[in-house]
Amino acid sequence: MLIAWKYRERDTIIQRLDPRARIIFMLAMLFSVIQFWDLRITLGFLALGLAQYFLARLTWRDTRRSWLLISILIIFMTILTFLTGRGGVATAYFEEHVLAQLGPLSLPIVGWSLTIAISVEKAIFALTQMVRMYAITSLAIAVPYTVDPSLYGVTFRGLGLPDKFAYAMDLAFRFVPTLGRDFSITLDSQRARGYEVEKLEGGIIAQIRKLAPLIVPVTINAIVGAEDIIDAMDLRCFGVGKRTWLQKLKYKRADWALIAFSVLLFVVSTAVRVALPALGRVWVPDFVLAWAGF
Amino acid sequence: MQNKTLTWLIVLVVFIALMVIASLLTGPEGARLSGITWIIFTLIAAVIIYAIYFATAANEAWEVGTREVVYMAIGAALFGVLTWWANTLALPSVSLVSLRPTVCLPVFFGFVFGPVVGFFTGAVGNIIGDFLTGWGVYPAWDIANGFMGLIPGLILLFANKRRGLNALTVVVAVLVVIAAAIILINPVIPDPWTGEDTNFGLWAWLFLIGGAVVIAGRFLLERVSVELAAVNIWGTLGIIIGIGFAAIADIWINGYSFFVAMVGEFAPAAGSNILNAMILTPILLAAYRAVQVRAGR
Repeated sequence: MLIAWKYRERDTIIQRLDPRARIIFMLAMLFSVIQFWDLRITLGFLALGLAQYFLARLTWRDTRRSWLLISILIIFMTILTFLTGRGGVATAYFEEHVLAQLGPLSLPIVGWSLTIAISVEKAIFALTQMVRMYAITSLAIAVPYTVDPSLYGVTFRGLGLPDKFAYAMDLAFRFVPTLGRDFSITLDSQRARGYEVEKLEGGIIAQIRKLAPLIVPVTINAIVGAEDIIDAMDLRCFGVGKRTWLQKLKYKRADWALIAFSVLLFVVSTAVRVALPALGRVWVPDFVLAWAGF
Repeated sequence: MQNKTLTWLIVLVVFIALMVIASLLTGPEGARLSGITWIIFTLIAAVIIYAIYFATAANEAWEVGTREVVYMAIGAALFGVLTWWANTLALPSVSLVSLRPTVCLPVFFGFVFGPVVGFFTGAVGNIIGDFLTGWGVYPAWDIANGFMGLIPGLILLFANKRRGLNALTVVVAVLVVIAAAIILINPVIPDPWTGEDTNFGLWAWLFLIGGAVVIAGRFLLERVSVELAAVNIWGTLGIIIGIGFAAIADIWINGYSFFVAMVGEFAPAAGSNILNAMILTPILLAAYRAVQVRAGR
């Protein structure tokens, strides 16, 4: 089942910050970290991300499922990068010290033949990629747990989106868990009637047509429910005049400090990256090359 | 007018920012945004949308009221949730382009509730779906999904839904023939994902058969309802333009050759999407009209 947004009120320094300031910080860090392929720098960003995570007082128990799901993806992508070197060759490193050659390996079913060269650069690139992904994850994973969903709309508005689109975004994100649940109920109901989505039979057109008993009720049910929401919003004169929001966001001193830090982080990162282009490439420590016999 | 332009520009900037965040949070490294080509193609898409919008700005199809706001949200969330489900479902697929039954949603929401709702449903819904699945974010494909909702929504610019249907049918037929011809000229190309030489000739015939079925379906459905005929033709046009945009963008973004983009990406994606939309959208539309009649609103 889908992971619902799991917000809980915690009296932490992170939760007391304005969500807009946090998003600005997140953007600044994202745009900063993606400029580097040097492991030492990315480790610094990981420390920054983890600092935010721990300051938010999130526990393993709270976030375990999200971490596991994201880790599966990150580890899978890292292994893939390690084996293929995709994304790094000729961009993050230009020469390779090959440690071993595997293959040619023949893939079952498809019959492709692969030769895999394991190199020092490929391994460090994969490690750096993993650190970079975890740095971003540690920063982002805190958002659904620490930003009140009722503030999504006013946050998007505060970031410059027009009222109606901010509200549409707000509603869309809020509807995801609800519609996920409705979909699950519909799927169970149809299964109780003998409908097996995993065993659709017939030609391709027949198979697509047989998906209608699942898609149509979920969609029509959502639309019928939407009419009540529209009525409720119309009764409250939605969109008639200039919109006000129930929650007001106001930058405090700590928020301004965070925004200033974010801008500084991005500016310094960009300046360092321009001044030292080598930081945009994989850093291979000499001791690793010596250890590998090069 | 100036305020509206500013509004749309802000929407575009926030949209790009959301794509960046989602891409960085979920995207596999090799699939992440890189360079500036994706920004250029996002801007090209924006120019196309603005051109259509400014040419018809006075039409109420572009108005965004309470109804549109709610349906934008419902559409995007539904498309996101069902895309997540479809992505995890082992449906028959060719290459890595899966059969997406949910493509009927942006087409349906656009056709019924207008181009803005359709675009939002397709674009934001695709981001949510990829976000939930943990796949990367592909801006050109998010916009492509937006086009799939926006183009069918343009029917609201016409008071009479029958108007222009014949001309549109001819346009669809010509596009289908051109696409099939491009595939048949050079059917053997390296698979975009594996690099192996693959024969995509079958897709030309499937494309021609699909096009013929869409056009035949338009005339058959017209006997039942002009609306059912129109949704198929407009939906097909939206899919061809949307997927065509994304495939051509990939020539620069992923460095594909024209034939690789058209044969390896456009044909499988557009073909399967048209098939899904053609079958499911009329069923959805008929169900919606029945509920509308029963509810009296």
